[in-house]
Amino acid sequence: MKTASALAVLDAPVDADVDPDDLVRAAMQWHFSPETGTPFWLRRQETLGFDPRTDVRTMADLHLFPQVVDDLRYTPVEDLLPRGYGGAAEVIGVFESGGTTGVPKRVLYLADWMEREMAGAMAAMDERGYPRGANWLSLGPSGPHDYAELTGQHARRRGGFRFAVDFDPRWVRRCLREGRDEEADRYLDHVLAQAADVLRSQRTGALQAPPPVLERLARDERLVDLVRDRVEVITWCGTSMDRDTRDLLRGEVFPGIPLFGLYGSTMALGAAFERVTTEDGDSVFDSPSRHVTYAVVDPGSGEPAAVGETGQVVMHHLSKSALLPNNRERDMARRVSAPPAAAGHSVADVRPLEAFTGVPVIVGAY
Amino acid sequence: MGTAPGAADTAPPGTVTGSLPFVDALVPAGAYRTGRRETVRDVAGEPLAELSLVPGLFIARTLDRLRREPAPSGGRSPARLGRRLRSAGAAFASDTLGGLTRQEHDGLVARSTGVPVSVIRAATATIADVLAGVVDTAAGASPRAVLPPGRRDVPDTGAVVWRRRGRLLGVNASGNHPAVHSLWLEALALGYRVAVRPSRRDPFTPHRLVLALRSAGFADDEVLTLPCDHSTAEELVGGSDLAMVFGGDATVRRYAGGRYGTPVLTQGPGRVKVLIRGRWDPYLDVVADSVGGLGGVSCLNATAVLVEHDPRGFAEALAKRLAALRPGPPVEEDTQLPCLPLAEARRVEDALRRGAAGCEPVLGDTVVHDLGDGSAALGPAVHLVDDPTAEQMGLEMPFPCVWVAPWSPDHGAAPLRGSLVVGVAGGNTALVDALLDEPSIRNVYGLDRPTWWLPPEMPHDGYLAEFLMRSTALAGI
Repeated sequence: MKTASALAVLDAPVDADVDPDDLVRAAMQWHFSPETGTPFWLRRQETLGFDPRTDVRTMADLHLFPQVVDDLRYTPVEDLLPRGYGGAAEVIGVFESGGTTGVPKRVLYLADWMEREMAGAMAAMDERGYPRGANWLSLGPSGPHDYAELTGQHARRRGGFRFAVDFDPRWVRRCLREGRDEEADRYLDHVLAQAADVLRSQRTGALQAPPPVLERLARDERLVDLVRDRVEVITWCGTSMDRDTRDLLRGEVFPGIPLFGLYGSTMALGAAFERVTTEDGDSVFDSPSRHVTYAVVDPGSGEPAAVGETGQVVMHHLSKSALLPNNRERDMARRVSAPPAAAGHSVADVRPLEAFTGVPVIVGAY
Repeated sequence: MGTAPGAADTAPPGTVTGSLPFVDALVPAGAYRTGRRETVRDVAGEPLAELSLVPGLFIARTLDRLRREPAPSGGRSPARLGRRLRSAGAAFASDTLGGLTRQEHDGLVARSTGVPVSVIRAATATIADVLAGVVDTAAGASPRAVLPPGRRDVPDTGAVVWRRRGRLLGVNASGNHPAVHSLWLEALALGYRVAVRPSRRDPFTPHRLVLALRSAGFADDEVLTLPCDHSTAEELVGGSDLAMVFGGDATVRRYAGGRYGTPVLTQGPGRVKVLIRGRWDPYLDVVADSVGGLGGVSCLNATAVLVEHDPRGFAEALAKRLAALRPGPPVEEDTQLPCLPLAEARRVEDALRRGAAGCEPVLGDTVVHDLGDGSAALGPAVHLVDDPTAEQMGLEMPFPCVWVAPWSPDHGAAPLRGSLVVGVAGGNTALVDALLDEPSIRNVYGLDRPTWWLPPEMPHDGYLAEFLMRSTALAGI
């Protein structure tokens, strides 16, 4: 296979059905070739102990990569830009991880990747009956987080306006870590008071919020009434939600309003919408695309879990814009059967790892 | 979808599905079986039951609603309330509840807590006894100045009524000994709604108790169980008008600060001490019983002994008595020592070794007795401490473990501070007065009885009514 044609898969149309292993090989060529490669990866090539361009041929080979995302806490973001763009890449933003496990990690979000991610998101929303032309209310983080950008894109691409209420998850986590629960509560009240202002005065058909904010909203009858009156679909994202809370929200708090989870990671530059059907009562997330895939692995050995087994969630991101393979997330999940022809595992009953790399996880509100 | 609480599963808890019985939450709509559950295991690791873990949102919404309801017993007569509570006591003691007979219940609690079944049986009886007399107990706590319940004949000079500080009491229970559940029943006698978060070690006792209360006529929204994980427990405290929290020092510190905006009555370690003046040999039996009775797992067990004459001789004699306590599986009738999962037992022993640094061990070279089935009995320990104010005197372990130190009249009551009970022998009036004058000493007994003596009508750490009620002036009405 010639390099140029091998690389073409990286530029395939957003709706093309590319072969997952072709994508793996193309991503290795692109990010590890001196001409097109990403400085972050080129610098690590020596220490990897294998040659990604020859040794990483399939999805299964991705497990060869060490956990490098911790280095993204200190890497200058210019090093994350592949040389192959020739300085012409359109960077939408620098986004940071939530900072749940220490100093935040940084990634670059490029415009060509946004097109792919949004194509997937729009298709997923269409399948789930999300309205078009509705305005969105986003109760989530802006600042260094990708949340505000992504919900803005969601609203715009579905023909609506986006109203935003700002929310700083790191402050909430800091309050909780320091035992200042009452300050966290007060901050959530402050966020919800602003949500009430929007809901009272504006047409809002779609609501997007992290579970703790949604749960807090669900305790306020006036807010619940406003949401019931106006909102046609609710999306939760950012942290996991247990199935009983989900059932309460669906069955008692917001009956008749579709409620879907969105599970992803800043470090995967992508997210999956909750499957329409549950598996043994648990919410399921299929790997969202060829480019962003999940795997459930044994936390000790790193071996893939069998269907039905619970393990740690690993995420891979492979695209022209970025290479973030084999990243162990701070979540546990059960592997369930994936749809036919899907790349990657499907995950159910996602919940936070109790302790991750020795630092206690404080989930906070995001 | 899991079972929505609105359409609560009505299958009786304890119903065998697969192989394990379910312990559902007992909520205003009946029983609530959640999708997220935890397997309750016995000390050997065998699964016993599936415990529903209620999500925080459910607790918050339920308590928000209950707090707004009028008090349940507004128009109910004390006599009727007394009948209901007595009837609940009888049901708790004898009925098949949730598919479990009394005997099966006692056996399950013994297996999950590791506390000997004879101790569990006595605790179950204690709870039933408390229920039988709790209306009178609560009435005994009433200030003399108040009008009798229901009376409104207010003279021109005014009158005092005794009324609730709130309507809903939240209880965050512990699982060390079932009788912790005898301590919140006064709230029902005073017309409170009560929501209990069971310990995950012993969810069975509050489950049976609430089923008994419901079978005796208490409404489903008057008395609830809300089992949940540790982080969700704060929703229970935050969502109640008043709360009672059982736990260790860390828990007590966390809740005692009042940061939840809910008044919290904390029930921490008892740190029960005994003081023997003069000859100690007449008191050897009662001290051994105070240390080793109830399996040594209660907050009422003695954990420190101050001896005026010959502390070493006393420690050696006490060690000999305690060494006779029998280890064994908790379900066996003659077992006297508590059990824990082996790994946990080793952690307890490690904690003891660290705590005992600088003390002289008299008994307890081997605390952990491996029972070979994954569990271990915890054997007694006796240590000599040279200073009655040493930190060890407050070190309370979940098995018969006692610290013996010298005492002289110069020390006075100071080394006895911070005790749920002080048992005193050979004390003169001045010493007893000094003990009663020390605010951090809650109860004072002579050594004609063990420190865990507590008939149903006696206050344990004050009457609960002192926390739940207040006197209110009423005039010109």
